[in-house]
Amino acid sequence: MTLRQAQGPARTLSTEYLQRFHDMVDDYPNKRSMLMMTLRLIEEEFGCIDDAGMEIAADLCGVSTAHVQGMVTFYTHFKRPAHGKHRFMVCATLMCALDGNTSQALKQIESKLGITPGQSTADGLFSCEKVECLADCDKPPVVQKDFEHFCSMKGKTLDDYIDSLLKRENKSVADYQGKAGIEMDLRVSVLPSHYNFAGETEVGARHFENKDPYFQPGEAPRTTTVPPPLKTPLTAPVVDGMNLNGADHV
Amino acid sequence: MSESPLNSPNGAMVPFTPVILKHIHEAGSHTLDHYVARGGYETARTNVGKTEPGSLVKLVEESGLRGRGGAGFPTGKKWSFLAKGTGKPAYLTVNGDESEPGTFKDRHIVEKDPHQLLEGVILTCWAIQSHHAFIYLRGEFILGYERLEAAVREAKARGFIGKKIFDTDFDLKVVVMRGAGAYICGEETGMLSSIEGGRGYPKIKPPFPAVSGVFQCPTIVNNVETIACVSHIVKNGAAWHKQWGTEKSPGFKIFCLSGAVKKPGVYEVPLGITMKEFIEVYGGGMIEGRTLKAVIPGGLSAPLLTPEMVEKCTLDYESLAGLGSMLGSGGITVLHDQVDLMSAIYNTMRFYHHESCGQCTPCREGTGWLEKLAHKFHEGHAHEGDVDLLGDVARNMRGRTICVLADAAAMPMQSYLQLFRGEFEKRVHEPAYTERKRTARDEITPAAKRDTVTQGGPDVLSVGMGMDRI
Repeated sequence: MTLRQAQGPARTLSTEYLQRFHDMVDDYPNKRSMLMMTLRLIEEEFGCIDDAGMEIAADLCGVSTAHVQGMVTFYTHFKRPAHGKHRFMVCATLMCALDGNTSQALKQIESKLGITPGQSTADGLFSCEKVECLADCDKPPVVQKDFEHFCSMKGKTLDDYIDSLLKRENKSVADYQGKAGIEMDLRVSVLPSHYNFAGETEVGARHFENKDPYFQPGEAPRTTTVPPPLKTPLTAPVVDGMNLNGADHV
Repeated sequence: MSESPLNSPNGAMVPFTPVILKHIHEAGSHTLDHYVARGGYETARTNVGKTEPGSLVKLVEESGLRGRGGAGFPTGKKWSFLAKGTGKPAYLTVNGDESEPGTFKDRHIVEKDPHQLLEGVILTCWAIQSHHAFIYLRGEFILGYERLEAAVREAKARGFIGKKIFDTDFDLKVVVMRGAGAYICGEETGMLSSIEGGRGYPKIKPPFPAVSGVFQCPTIVNNVETIACVSHIVKNGAAWHKQWGTEKSPGFKIFCLSGAVKKPGVYEVPLGITMKEFIEVYGGGMIEGRTLKAVIPGGLSAPLLTPEMVEKCTLDYESLAGLGSMLGSGGITVLHDQVDLMSAIYNTMRFYHHESCGQCTPCREGTGWLEKLAHKFHEGHAHEGDVDLLGDVARNMRGRTICVLADAAAMPMQSYLQLFRGEFEKRVHEPAYTERKRTARDEITPAAKRDTVTQGGPDVLSVGMGMDRI
């Protein structure tokens, strides 16, 4: 499954989450400063921050999509489409890595799920990555699974936890034995989805206009759809190796 | 935690019981009811709208409280620098982006006693006459964020935060924000950039945040622990705070102990106790069968201490500075005799390379060089000149960047080189490592292929730092 297909069709933020966005408005002096928390809202609602999510955040906070892409790639804790549904983050900084705690945890994850750091399982259910200090250094190794935090996560504790996740997904260890994981591609698309290859848009270059499609403090929230992706396929592949090719972009 | 009799500046023994961490082990310590039941928010109620703000700043200045985030700048003095009469609002930003490896004290305050922090925020805002405070937590503090958010809601409902707090004319907005996994946002101006909705790029100083900080407005940036201290100092007075600690480092501090000790954890102790006592009494000593090799005294960026230095070290800002290290954020990590220091320094350098924000060339490139060179020592295929090269790169990084991340990366490297140079040199000359590497490479690159490359011109395999030149 490609990144673009995994993201599915264009989406919009639900009324509930838009309301939560509007509730925050009074707390911040300007829209741009709400971006971090807006991205968290989008992450919470969609499960990850994909291209559509970035465009929604750009609209809500009045910044360009490029700025949001810059944010999402700078901050490593945001969940992205390439991450597995269950995303393991294993602390690999010195205090956890002392005495082989980190490598022990990574080994256990690999033996159960067949993935090494930087990989996700082929079905997209699990992914594993090394992260830097998670600030619980007295109880190594520290592991976060999405938004859950675990200390002293090794041996039977970790094994049992992975088993419980497998059970929840109706999978077993055998499903992942002998299957190689796939490398996660955390890059973003070069262009927003509604841009065509010539750099023109079908719906107008709204990102450079000072419009407020959502942001009206005090007003009832409105839902606005993100423009649909292009119907005409790209005619030329992108040469710099980014993740856009013609077939994906339809 | 037990009482510990300690020396105060005047030589008298003053018993100490934890102040900030006193209640964290009690059930429900994070709730408003628990906090109010133990006298919480009374200090704020009696001071906000009643005490002269300037006298609060003076009180904190007199108490000698120093910033607990790492730099140790006197808090009261920082407050007094806040630009006045600019016509712009003043902001308080509380730095809870606790990302220095080895430090986990703010986590305990935010998760287990968030109202204590909020009372400190209220008092600080009154002292500096700010109506808007941001508390920036790192994204990984999930429970902490939930609890602090809930605490703000509870306090709002009781009228401790919001419009006309404590029935005075003072309005106060407290906003809890989450980061998303960037070490650099622990740097004060990096955090401000993040609050403004951008990448966490540090800004050049001056202007200092107290003059032009977040949204180009006067801003005070304090650590979570510093702010948590404020309500206790306002309640008990400057003399109470000064009865512990040393002359230049008065008071108490939370230290985080990790590594090869029997009882790692957070311990709140008066400043000025000996490092040895801290490790032996609080940490329960070294784990069985291991001896002390080195101590990282103030988070990963602090230069190492050897066992001899540990003997004469006391836990205060001056003693550690005198030993060429720093108290930093109080994250003490004990390394035992079997720790491979080359792996440790490689891990450390990898951390800084990963976390460099990429703005300044000496840091962006320098941390990469240090990582690659340290990797050569870790793998055992370093060359003669690499030890000097490490020192050279580290020296050229220091003091040449916008923020101190470059220094934070160079300092541990320089201290490893200074204190354990022999270990680096051993790894250069160790034939076993070189031999193992050669064998490994021969398996990957058949000899014939390598020969054609070398015959065809300069040895391209040897170009680039990551490659070994055997």
